[in-house]
Amino acid sequence: MKPAAARRLILISMVILWELVPLTGLLPELFLPSLSSTLKVLWQDAAIYGHALWVTLYEVALAMAIACGGGILAGAAVGGLARLRILLLPVVSSLYAVPIVILYPVFTAWFGVGSESKIAFAGIYAFFPVMLSTAAGIQTIDPQFLLAARSMGATLPQQIARVIIPASLPTVFAGLRLGGALAIIGVVVSEMLTAAAGIGYLVTLNRTILDSPRVFAAILLILLLSIAYYLLSRAVERRFVVWQAAGKPLQPAQSTV
Amino acid sequence: MTAAIEVSGLSHNYGGTVPALEDIAFSVAAGRFTVIVGPSGCGKTSLLMMLAGLRAQSQGSIHVLGKPIPAPDPQRVGVIFQEASLYPWLTALENIEFPLSLRGGDRNEYRRRAEEMLELVGLHGFGARYPHELSGGMKQRVAIARGLAQDPPVLLMDEPFAALDEQTRMTMGHELLRIWSTTSKTVVFITHSLTEAVYLADEVLVMSARPGKIIDRIAIDLPRPRNYEMMATDVFGRLRDRIWRQIRKVDG
Repeated sequence: MKPAAARRLILISMVILWELVPLTGLLPELFLPSLSSTLKVLWQDAAIYGHALWVTLYEVALAMAIACGGGILAGAAVGGLARLRILLLPVVSSLYAVPIVILYPVFTAWFGVGSESKIAFAGIYAFFPVMLSTAAGIQTIDPQFLLAARSMGATLPQQIARVIIPASLPTVFAGLRLGGALAIIGVVVSEMLTAAAGIGYLVTLNRTILDSPRVFAAILLILLLSIAYYLLSRAVERRFVVWQAAGKPLQPAQSTV
Repeated sequence: MTAAIEVSGLSHNYGGTVPALEDIAFSVAAGRFTVIVGPSGCGKTSLLMMLAGLRAQSQGSIHVLGKPIPAPDPQRVGVIFQEASLYPWLTALENIEFPLSLRGGDRNEYRRRAEEMLELVGLHGFGARYPHELSGGMKQRVAIARGLAQDPPVLLMDEPFAALDEQTRMTMGHELLRIWSTTSKTVVFITHSLTEAVYLADEVLVMSARPGKIIDRIAIDLPRPRNYEMMATDVFGRLRDRIWRQIRKVDG
């Protein structure tokens, strides 16, 4: 069987199991509500879930914008200027290892329990991988590329626009993909901790009243959101980095989710 | 014939202390093919970078077409690097256009110029391929086309065929001579291969190990066009042997 077909089979059987296991009583509905009951509450409460999804998407979008914009700018500065790199990179790299979620209570104190604290927290959470990979992307450009550009008479702005940016694009994209995923995690986690809106909030709210189908409905939405993001980012990456994808013959085959 | 390249009293120290090049002096007549050979680390590449205006020398003067070259000047000097150093995000044709597009100007015109160069290096129909879709030899052909695109009178080549296998390397050397004979460029070519040096050159400059000095210059008076049969002749063998003895002598 081909890997793609096998993957599809696994996915289908998981969906079927999700429906059958609670129905046959193997697991109580409290632990695992069936797929149909999950979809039913999702349909009944479409307005509530729609609004929550909207709030979450809004927060994720702004957090991504902060992380991508700030991360690319800071990464470019750190990657491009040796002095700044020596000064900052060790600090930033070690900060990256700190579980930033411990700072979330501080963020709620500063920004309140509304969207602002989620955006700030997820933005900073996602900022680090974007910045670090941008810095790495610029630092690891083949010096021959720049030497060749200079020999052909490229000015500094031309070297940046025509060589440095395209050459670092693959690494920057890798950082953006990771950063985007962290922005989603950051928003959902902070919504689960302290919030009055968003999908993460629905997970926490319904868990406390033991309403399993509604918890799983929210989980399902987050799952779909993450998969959609993954597919979108891959499509964008393929579109812009044709040469890189083709240069890696050992990349895992196309996934079909 | 006038000198296209005139180097005199050139010395260079790395970091102001380590002597790298010492009292280099030579001139290359316009339209001639000069090959520089020497042991690794003798400063051949540094010398070439200085001829290209990519690096400043500590002492002495370099004149290319009668003028000093303090910065890269693609209209006077084209450089072709080892490993081709093509941009992987551009197609073969876009790579060749690259130096032309830096100057701005009419897009159609430089597209036509790039097509011409692609044809000249024997890659007609491969313009839309990306570098990773080309073989090593084809990549170097694109690099040569890119070097020729701006039509500089002087072409500097830094071990352009070093990464190629033996057969491809021979073919590329022969191709280079064919292209060169149609363009009347002045070429300075660096190599480690003695056979390549004798096969290509009008004159071979032999450099010593660090600090690099020119210890011999050997005129190669084999007739042109060169062909592979010449490699089996006594004259060819004697010339190659003479270079080899010079290099071995300084290597100890």
